[in-house]
Amino acid sequence: MKPIIALTKGRLEKQFIKFLQSLNYEVEPIINKGRKLRVETDTFQFIFAKGPDVTTYVEHGIADLGIVGGDIIAEFQPDVFNLFPLPFGHCRMAVATEDGKVWPNQKKKIASKYTGITKEYFRNKGESVDIIKLEGSVELAPILGLADGIVDIVETGTTLKENGLVVQEEFFSFSARCIANRSSLKIKRDVLTPIIESFQKQEEYV
Amino acid sequence: MFLPDGSQDEIGLPLNNKAKATELFRKVATERGFKAISTPVVEYAKTFTNTHVGMKLHSLLKWFNKEGEIEVLRADWTTAVARAISNQKSKQTKWFYEGSVFRNDREGIESKQAGIEIIRTEPFLGEAESVLTAVAYLKELEISNYLIELGHTGIFEELTNSLKLDSETEERLLDAMHDKRRDIVYEIAIDYGSIQQAEQLTELIDAYGSVDQLKKYRSIWKDNKRLTRILNHLIELANVIESNGGEVLLDLGRVKNLPYYCGVMFKGYLKENGESCFSGGRYDKLYEQFDEKVSAVGLAFDIDVLATHINNNERKESICIVASKATHIQAEQLRSNYPNANVDIQYEIKDSDAYDTIIHVNENTN
Repeated sequence: MKPIIALTKGRLEKQFIKFLQSLNYEVEPIINKGRKLRVETDTFQFIFAKGPDVTTYVEHGIADLGIVGGDIIAEFQPDVFNLFPLPFGHCRMAVATEDGKVWPNQKKKIASKYTGITKEYFRNKGESVDIIKLEGSVELAPILGLADGIVDIVETGTTLKENGLVVQEEFFSFSARCIANRSSLKIKRDVLTPIIESFQKQEEYV
Repeated sequence: MFLPDGSQDEIGLPLNNKAKATELFRKVATERGFKAISTPVVEYAKTFTNTHVGMKLHSLLKWFNKEGEIEVLRADWTTAVARAISNQKSKQTKWFYEGSVFRNDREGIESKQAGIEIIRTEPFLGEAESVLTAVAYLKELEISNYLIELGHTGIFEELTNSLKLDSETEERLLDAMHDKRRDIVYEIAIDYGSIQQAEQLTELIDAYGSVDQLKKYRSIWKDNKRLTRILNHLIELANVIESNGGEVLLDLGRVKNLPYYCGVMFKGYLKENGESCFSGGRYDKLYEQFDEKVSAVGLAFDIDVLATHINNNERKESICIVASKATHIQAEQLRSNYPNANVDIQYEIKDSDAYDTIIHVNENTN
């Protein structure tokens, strides 16, 4: 039976396809998958899901391996083998505020998708903050007065800049990672090891 | 009325399978000389959260009692049994238990376990008896497609001894090894040691497989007496399991996930879907909190998992005796004519498809 890989939809998916291509794996069925959420190639079965759901499918053993951002693993802390970084999907976690804005002299309000990471970051700084959970477009929160600042991932910084925000501090950097189900890695060792080794050998790709 | 997340009602076959799994466990354990022990469902939180045990308070189901002390639902059998045994001062060395444990940090608040504890016993004998009890129990359940994983806490300890890690970094390194997270393992090891040590630890992450695949570590570790002794110990234990029909996987990079483990660690996997069906190991250190230096080893089976893999082929004929208030006594007497069937007595049949045979009793029936 072919190994099952859960793949994060969107930008990571495109970067992973290029990565697979550089390793000479078949990618045509993934590129032309249309709206299908399950696709099979010569070597793999793929399922496509949002980042947090990729970790869930791997944790529950539905998928053997997963390709997901390090930010998602840090936030959701799934019970999986968090094997190694992949050479794409680089980003940083940052605190940002409106340009020229001064922090208030009271407990800060921070908006973020990453409430776990935000809590840990400010706790490690010895600071209590109120965290407002948002699902997306976090940059809006300080502009519209919902929060004093945000914690979010930054890749190029363009989105922040276009919305009048500036980075105050960067505190984590992430890349895409290969994760594995705790049982599958051992029980399907013979099938998964060559794949994992091929992923690890490819330090750089075009 | 609704149920909280993680709680569920059970009816019919799953419940019967759990009862059967428990019944067979009691049979196997009793036949191998284990004695039953039970502990209360309610304990003090510190039984599980003290430094010897190291469970996190947030993972326990807890409340304050009248005196303001934190009480919890039993979170772990091994810890509770150790407390009970140390109070008893019994000469009995082999104990078994079965019942629920309650945790907040896993799917399903309540999980049913059955397990064994072997104390004050020659270490290899205790370990062999633990894994062979697992082999015997799985055989009794007619489960043959499984894998027993062996690991040892001493390998990581030996390879990180010279790194002189502070406790926080050691914790980070343990977490990274537990997650087989090679970049962080390498990063920490190189910060505190040499390239060679970092490579050795990173290589350990991939050191899992069959005994034959890992025999190469005999020559890699030939100059380290402790590692050689540990490896030989694991291979001997693997031989005991394989000679009795079990399949073994060694994971030399496995690390302890609770502070009280100190030696061999076991884990059973069902190969069909990778579910973990038992886990355990050596935990002499657990008894240090009672000022006792004893050998202690054991393992706990996940009854919820095992029950779903039981082949329940023992289907009996289902008979309904249709009687009336006047013929109920006759119907009850008739029941003894069908010792190998499930016999139900009804005054009126509501679902005839539920029965294989329907017998009507009237006042003239003998």
